[in-house]
Amino acid sequence: MTAKTKSTRRSFLKRGAILAAPLAAAAPAAIMTDNDLKARLARLENEAAIRALHQRWLHQINSGEALLPLSPSRIGNKDTENVSTIAPDHSAPFDAIEVAAHGGTATGRFRCTVEIETPIAQDCTFARMAHAQGSGFVRRTERRLLSVKYVESSGAWSISSAELAPL
Amino acid sequence: MSGTPYPKEQMHRIAYTKLSEQQISDKLSKVSGPTSASTLSDTFAGKSVRIVTDKGPALAYTFSETNRLALAENGGGAIQAGYGALTLDNVAFFSHLIPGTQRGYAVIVDQDTNLATVFELWFSGYEDNREVQREIYYGYVDQPGKQPPAARHAPTNRVEGKGFYWKQDAGAETLEFYPSAAYSNFVELSRFGGELSYCGPSDYIKINDNLYVYTRTECEFSGTFTAYAVDLNRIEQVGMRLGFDANDELEYYVFRGKGEWLGQLAQFEKFGDETGAPVPAADPGKTAAKGARRVYRPFKTMPKMTKAQVDALVATKSAAFPVRTTGPGASMAGNLGPPTVWLTAKSFTLRYDNAPAIEYRIDDAETLHWRKEGDANRTKARYQAWESTPGVIMFGHLLEGTPNHDGHSIVADFHQGLVTCFNGYLNTPYYANEAGVKILFGVIEMDGLTPPKYRRHFLTDEMIGRAVSQNYAPGLTSMHLYTTPHSLSWIIFTNTDAGGLEWSGPASYVKIRDGIYFIYWLEEACNGTLGTILVNLHTMRDVGIGYNCGAQGLNMSAIGAHERLAGGFDVMRFYQVKSTGSIV
Repeated sequence: MTAKTKSTRRSFLKRGAILAAPLAAAAPAAIMTDNDLKARLARLENEAAIRALHQRWLHQINSGEALLPLSPSRIGNKDTENVSTIAPDHSAPFDAIEVAAHGGTATGRFRCTVEIETPIAQDCTFARMAHAQGSGFVRRTERRLLSVKYVESSGAWSISSAELAPL
Repeated sequence: MSGTPYPKEQMHRIAYTKLSEQQISDKLSKVSGPTSASTLSDTFAGKSVRIVTDKGPALAYTFSETNRLALAENGGGAIQAGYGALTLDNVAFFSHLIPGTQRGYAVIVDQDTNLATVFELWFSGYEDNREVQREIYYGYVDQPGKQPPAARHAPTNRVEGKGFYWKQDAGAETLEFYPSAAYSNFVELSRFGGELSYCGPSDYIKINDNLYVYTRTECEFSGTFTAYAVDLNRIEQVGMRLGFDANDELEYYVFRGKGEWLGQLAQFEKFGDETGAPVPAADPGKTAAKGARRVYRPFKTMPKMTKAQVDALVATKSAAFPVRTTGPGASMAGNLGPPTVWLTAKSFTLRYDNAPAIEYRIDDAETLHWRKEGDANRTKARYQAWESTPGVIMFGHLLEGTPNHDGHSIVADFHQGLVTCFNGYLNTPYYANEAGVKILFGVIEMDGLTPPKYRRHFLTDEMIGRAVSQNYAPGLTSMHLYTTPHSLSWIIFTNTDAGGLEWSGPASYVKIRDGIYFIYWLEEACNGTLGTILVNLHTMRDVGIGYNCGAQGLNMSAIGAHERLAGGFDVMRFYQVKSTGSIV
């Protein structure tokens, strides 16, 4: 099996546990005399923490350690489909991460390409054997807009919701 | 008379005893070490060898003779055991049990590189205690004062597609095919008479470009474990076999064998992909338990019904070619070709040599009326038909009202006036919902068509040894390996297009025309399906009909696939019936 073989069965995402990123240590007090500078620094730190969280989360999705269930209304009512990999769409505009002015919440929008698995029906011996060996899926790749909502609690960011919308 | 080479029951019909742990312990306690028909090697005699494995035990051996050793596992106290070793060029293979336990080891050492592969073996690790479990450890022979080697033996797909005839030193003869990187296929020529092929989960490990290690566990059957090192150039093997036979007698021996190369099948992985073990033991993100592997256990999951249950079910749930995109068999028809209307408005009789003639009147592309010759009334039935090549029509229908719920899968050659029918039926001896089949040969009688008097379609061995892949639908691809004149095997590809799980069943092959073959297989002790396909080697497309009785009732469904030739094995010479002596 090649290293790129992907999950067909995944554990569900446990929010707030594995998907949490601590905020960076507070900046030295000596340079926090300017409020604007302080706010800018806090925003950059938050964005950096969210990006790190995002990267770890994508790694978990792509390695099969986490599952991203698709919203049926967004994918054509095929509620059995799974996203097996998410990759940045390098041909798309830059990602956007916006931290709320009050802090505590943030949103991220990422253009990406997703590999979607659709299981074949287990209606015959061959299909059942395919599932028994961990395959039995049809995969396709599509462009999506990944919209993620983040929440900060006790100095750590975590993902509160994620949605893949067709472009 | 010396008797025939055939067993009373074929392997998939043997009711192997569910041995208790105590029974297994009692049997093992009477054995000191493996037997051998060949002279044991003295390569280790008088030596001490310490084998270090990466994620497994450290094994400190002291070999006092050619058949006695002392072993200290992980620095523990030493135990005494009998062993047997054989060598194949630079490879030494030895095996032993650990007295007082149900454990043992099979060890392969490359004496040139000092790399080692260790199989830990044990009984009573699965719900069927007799099934031998194995865990594989990779490591090396410790050389005091030297750095451990960085290389290791490793799983590989480089053996995939090969096939050999083997004759062991004690006389056992087999054909062994490796069409998968996770399973293998074996034909017991001397033990079972070579009628059918069987499958088992297998390991393939690379020692070097010429030498490999192969294992097979006869899961769903006796549970016996076989492992050997094989030299692909010399076609020689040294290995061991451990398990309990159909009489519950312990088989534990090391062996040496010589063979013949039978051919090479195609591989379908991407070029450059030589990784092995394509079927992961555990789901992604999870850790496999010791000894875990994916094993296809069809008999365990097969629905099993009595005749009364079948009769009651079929009375209420019976369907032929229902219009659907899901349900029994729908996945097998993803690449089905268009149906034909050629039979519409025609009337004809299929006159079988060995069964009652059937008279047909066809209404349209999906409705026919049939009756046995001499009956007053016709029965309406739903059917489907496909024209595989001009004049050759495959069609099928259920025969409602017949005592055994028959279904006919028919290939009629209207250019030649010939017909062959695979007559499926239920209420078979082992499980009533398991399909049986009769082959009916005959002619077509129709206005304007004069059939031959003597000529018929006939059973053929032209496909035997060949492999043909079938892509039924996106995500569902298998390969048929036509293993013996009376069986075939099917291999399911993984998502990386490596050969994965595999199983086999009884089969027959009828030649319709040059390059066009009508084939059936029975999924006996599996899920009871009768599969029938018309293989067209000109268009590389098959059409077919499945006949199955399961929890969803009696179903007849369409099959359609795009095919690729995948090579073949030269095996027919092993299946010739001889009047005396060996069957080979």
